[in-house]
Amino acid sequence: MLKAINKLGKGARAITSVGTSSLPVAIIGGLLYAAFFVKAEPSAGELKARPLERRDAFYGVVAPGGATLWAAGSNGKIVRSEDGGQTWGVQDSPVATHLQSISAWDAQRAVAVGNRGLVVVTEDGGKTWKEVKVPHSEVANKLLQVHTYADGVAWAVGELGAVLKSADYGATWTRALDEKDQAWNDIAFVGQAGWLVGEFGQILRSTDGGQSWAAVPSPVKTSLMSVSFRDALHGVAVGLAGTVLVTSDGGASWKDVPPPTREHLNCVIWDGAGWVAVGDKGIRVSAGPEADTWKASRISDQDLSWHTQIVKTADDYVLAGANLALLHQDGLRILGRD
Amino acid sequence: MKNATFRALARLIDLVLQYRVMVVSAIVGFTCVMGYLAAQIEVKTVFSDLLPRNHPYVEVNNRFKQTFGGSNMVSIMLEVEQGDVFNMTVLKKVQQITQALQKVEGVDTYQIASLASKKMKEVRASTEGIESRPLMWPGLPKDAGEIATLREAVLNNPLVYGPYVSIDMRATLITADFIDGAVDYVKAYKQIEEIADAARGDGVLVRVVGEPILYGLVNHYLGETLQIFMVTVGALVVLLLLITRTWHGTLLPLITGLVSAIWALGAAKLMHFHLDPLVIVVAFLITAQAISNSVQLVSRFDDEVAAGATSAGAAARAALLNLFKPGMLAIVADAGCVLVVALTPIPMLEKISYIGTVWILSIMLSAMVLTPVLLSWCGVRKRYAHPVNVYPLLQRILGLCAAVVTSKLRFAVVIGATVAFAVSGLYAFKLKVGDANPGSPILWPDSTYNKDATAINQKFQGSDRMFVVVQGKKEGALKEPSVLEGMERFQKYMEAQPEVGGSISLADILPAVKRVVREGNARYQELGGSADENGELVYMFVSGADPGDMDRFADPQAKNGAVTLFFRDHQGETIRTAIARVKEYVAAHKLEDAEFLLAGGLVGVLAAVNEVILAGQIESIAFALLVLVACCMFTYRSTVAGMFFMVPVLLSNTLTFSYMAWKGIGMNINTLPVVALGIGLGVDYSFYIVDGIREELHHHKDVGRAIVKSISTSGKGVLITALTLVTSVVLWSFSSLRLQADMGVLIAIWLFISAASALFLMPAMVYVFRPEFIVGSKRHPIEQAVAAEPIQAT
Repeated sequence: MLKAINKLGKGARAITSVGTSSLPVAIIGGLLYAAFFVKAEPSAGELKARPLERRDAFYGVVAPGGATLWAAGSNGKIVRSEDGGQTWGVQDSPVATHLQSISAWDAQRAVAVGNRGLVVVTEDGGKTWKEVKVPHSEVANKLLQVHTYADGVAWAVGELGAVLKSADYGATWTRALDEKDQAWNDIAFVGQAGWLVGEFGQILRSTDGGQSWAAVPSPVKTSLMSVSFRDALHGVAVGLAGTVLVTSDGGASWKDVPPPTREHLNCVIWDGAGWVAVGDKGIRVSAGPEADTWKASRISDQDLSWHTQIVKTADDYVLAGANLALLHQDGLRILGRD
Repeated sequence: MKNATFRALARLIDLVLQYRVMVVSAIVGFTCVMGYLAAQIEVKTVFSDLLPRNHPYVEVNNRFKQTFGGSNMVSIMLEVEQGDVFNMTVLKKVQQITQALQKVEGVDTYQIASLASKKMKEVRASTEGIESRPLMWPGLPKDAGEIATLREAVLNNPLVYGPYVSIDMRATLITADFIDGAVDYVKAYKQIEEIADAARGDGVLVRVVGEPILYGLVNHYLGETLQIFMVTVGALVVLLLLITRTWHGTLLPLITGLVSAIWALGAAKLMHFHLDPLVIVVAFLITAQAISNSVQLVSRFDDEVAAGATSAGAAARAALLNLFKPGMLAIVADAGCVLVVALTPIPMLEKISYIGTVWILSIMLSAMVLTPVLLSWCGVRKRYAHPVNVYPLLQRILGLCAAVVTSKLRFAVVIGATVAFAVSGLYAFKLKVGDANPGSPILWPDSTYNKDATAINQKFQGSDRMFVVVQGKKEGALKEPSVLEGMERFQKYMEAQPEVGGSISLADILPAVKRVVREGNARYQELGGSADENGELVYMFVSGADPGDMDRFADPQAKNGAVTLFFRDHQGETIRTAIARVKEYVAAHKLEDAEFLLAGGLVGVLAAVNEVILAGQIESIAFALLVLVACCMFTYRSTVAGMFFMVPVLLSNTLTFSYMAWKGIGMNINTLPVVALGIGLGVDYSFYIVDGIREELHHHKDVGRAIVKSISTSGKGVLITALTLVTSVVLWSFSSLRLQADMGVLIAIWLFISAASALFLMPAMVYVFRPEFIVGSKRHPIEQAVAAEPIQAT
C-alpha cells in the first residue's frame, strides 16, 4: 500500500512535504498575528445602569393615586413606578439640570420645576416631557417647590421671590409677586386660602386664591422650608434648625414650638391622623392633630441620609432626598439598593 | 550523527577527559567565585519592576502618584464587636495607630488619613464665615458631649461618613500611602503588624490589607519557602538514591543542579538583579532541567558499564558522545525559549528571562562537561547503596511504553493526543487574564489577609483604588462647571458597575461646601453655577486647610484633577470592564476644557499589566516556537523536524492553560514568570528519545527495534527524572503561599506532560509518520555507523 502511495507520484509527495514544511511557519505566524493585532476588548455594553443609582438624589416625589409614584431629582432625572415603588422606570427627560420638585394633577398630567427656572410638563404620564417658558429673573431663578391644584392650577416658588402661577396645566406661567432678594421655599393652598413661607422666617398669606398676598408676623428669623394645612385653619410650618411653627387661625398668627430637634426640617405633611416632618440625618418629628407636643426620632438607625420630602400613600410613606425610600410600619426600605 | 562530526566530537571529549583534573579545578574555582557573589544576592520585591514599561497607564500613574495616591496603600480597619466606633477606646486606638504610622519607614506622612489625622476636616459655616477644622486633631474628645459632637460632624461629612467610618458606624478606616521606591516591604509589614497587634483587644478587631502588607507577607514566608525548597531537594536525593541505587546517580545530578544555580545567581548579582521571592519556584523549574540532563548522562553511563565498557572513562566518553546532540539541542532550545520572554515589556520578566537564560546555558558546562568528567572517576564495579530494587518496575513501565507504541495502539496514542490538544486548546480560552478570584491569588482564600480584605471591602467602598486624571487644557479648568459636571456624570456612570464601591473627586467636595454656605440646605448640595462660584467654593474649602489637603483632588492651579474610584476587588474581569467603561464613556462624552487620562493607582497599573501580559505571552509562545523550529532545522536539516518537536510544546501549553482555567488560576503578574518560562519545557525529554531512535538507526534499519531500544535507554533517564521531580515538586503544595503551591502543581504537570509525550507520543508519531529526518528515505538514507567504531579504552 505504501508503494501505491509512492506510485501516486512525486506530485503528492511534494505537496505533503511542502505542507509539513510550511505548517510551522503558519502556526508561528498565526500566533504572532494574534499577539500583535488581536486585542481582547471586553464589551462594557452589557452593564445597564439601574433606574435608581447610588448617586441620584431625588428632591421631590408625588403619589398621584393608585400605586403610581413619580419622583424627580438630580441631573433632570424623572422616574416613575406603577407598583408602589417596587420597580421603577426612567423617563425621557429633556433637561439635565437638577429638578427640585414634582407635582401631578392626575396620573397623566404633571409638572416638575428645578434649577435655572426650569419647568417641564407632561400630559401623557411622562412618555414625553417638554420644557415650558416661564418668567425669568436676571439674577437667580432656581425654583424650589411646585404644587398642583384643581382645574389645572399650579404654583411654583423659588429664589429671588419667585412665585409663579399657571392655570392651564403648566402650559403658561405668570409671575404672581414681584422679585425680591429673598427665596420662597414653599406654598400651600386650601381652597381660597394660601400661604407662602421662605427665607428669614418670612410668611405671606392670601385669602383670595392668591390674587393678593399679605405679610404675617413671624416669630422666627430662621428660614422656613415647608408649610402644610390640614384644613383652612390648622397648619404647620417647619424650617432650619428644627424650627416648628403652628397656627390654628388660618395662618393669621403663628406660634413657635420649642424645637424638637436641632436638625433642619425640610418637609411637613398632614398624613390624615397627625403631623409628620422630615429633614437632615434621617430625622423625623411628629405630633398629633393639635400639633402641641412634638417628638423627634430617627426614622431608622441604619439610614442617616437627608430627606426633602415625605408623601403619604395608602399604606406607606414615600421619602425623597439623598435616596428614595419606602417607610412601612416603621420599617424603612431604601429603594434601588441591594 | 555524521561519522565525521562524530570523530571530531570524540577527539574533543578525549581532550577534556585527559585534562579532567584541570577542568574540574577550573569549574570548582569559578563556582567558588560565583558562590561568593551569589551569597550577596538580594531577595526582595520591587513593585515597580512588575509594571510594564512605556505603557500609558503606568506613565500616568508615575506622573501623578505623588499627589493622587499610588499603588502602595495600606488600609487598617478597626471594627467593634459591640456598639459603634464613637467611644474613647476606639478613638484612642485610632489616634495611636495614626501617630505610630508616621514613624513607619517609607510612609508618606502627608498621606495618612483617619479620624485622627489633621487632614480629616469638618467644614462648617459660622458667623465669621466658613470654618474648616480637623475632626479629631490634635486631641481626642474629652467627654461624652464632645464625642457626640464628633459623631454629628462625621455623619454630616460625606468625605468621612462612608469612606472612613462605615455606614453602620461599626468600623473605621485608617489609610496610609507609601512612597514608591522608598518602601521596604519587609520592614513596613513588620512595623505595621506591630502597630496592629498593639491595637488589638478590648473588643476591637483590627484588620490590615494593602500591597505593602501582601508583599511583606510573601517575604515573611521566605524562611518557609526556603525550607520547602530544602525539603524538596532532600526528597529529590532520597528518590534518586532509591531509584538509581548508586551514590553517583544521586549526587552528580544534584551537583549539576547546584553548580548551575550558583553560577546563575552569581551572574544575576553581577547584572545587578535581585531575586523576587515569588519566583523562587522558577529556580526549581530550571534546576529540574539541569538534573534531567545529568540523569540522562548518568543513566547512559550505567548502561555503557552494563554493556561491558572497559573503564569508567570509556563509559563516560561513550555516554557523552551519544547524548551530546540531544543534550545540547535541549539546552540551546530551552535557553532560546526563555530568552524570548524578555520581549514582554515588564522589567521583572526581563530580569528573570536573563537570569534564566544564563542559568540554562550554564547547564552546558555543569551537566555536559562536569557530569561526564566526574563520572570518569567512578568505578565500573557495581556497588549498590541499598538493596531495594525498583528497576524491574521501571523496566515494566518502559516495556509497556514500547509495547504500546509499536502495536496498533500507536494510532490510538496519536489520535488521543490530537483530541487532547483540540479539547484543551479550546478550553484554554477560558483562561482568565488577571486575578481570577477576589482577594489575593498569592495567598490561600482562607488566609487572614484574604479574610481581612473581604471584611474591609464589605464595610467600605473598596480598598483598591484607581484614579483617572482629569487633565485641564488651561489653568482653572477644573473650576469650569462643564468640567465638574462632566466628572460627576463620569463618576455616576462608573458607579453603575457593582464592583465599584464608590468614587470621589472635586465634584463631590464642592457641593458639600456649597450646602454648608447655604445654611446646610440639602437643596443646595450641588456644584456652583459658574467658574467663579466654584473658585470661591474651592477657596473656602482650602482656606484654613493645610497646604496639600486639596492635592488628592486637584492641583493648586486647578488644572489637573483626579477622579478616584474604589474597587471591591481587582479581578481581571472587574478591571477590564472598568477600563472598557471608562474608554467608552470618555469617547462618547468629550469635555471642552479637559480630557480624561487612564489610569493610576493599583487598579490602574494592574490594568496595564493585564493588557500587556496576554499579548506578551502569545508573543513569547510564538517566538519560543520559532527558536525551537530554528534549532531543530539547524540540527536535523529539516523543517519537518521543527513541526515534529512543536507538537509536545503546543500540547504542554494548551494543557497547562486548561489546568489553570479549570483551577481558577489567573494569568497575572505573579503566575506569569513560571508560565512564561515553562513554554519551552515540554520538549527536552523528547529530544533524548527521538535522537536515541535516530542514532540507533545508524546501526540497523528496523524502526520498531530502534524505538524499543531508545525507550529502554533514554526512556529510563526520562522516567527517573520525571518520577523524582514530579514527586518532590508536590511538596510545594504545603506552602503557606497559594501561588507557590499552584506553581508547584503547574511544574509537575509540565514535567509529566513532557515525560508522557516523550515516552508515548513521540515514538508513536515516529512509527506512524516515519519522518524522513529520523528514518531516512531512499534519496537520503541514514548513514550507517562505521563498524570499526568500538568503544575505546583510555
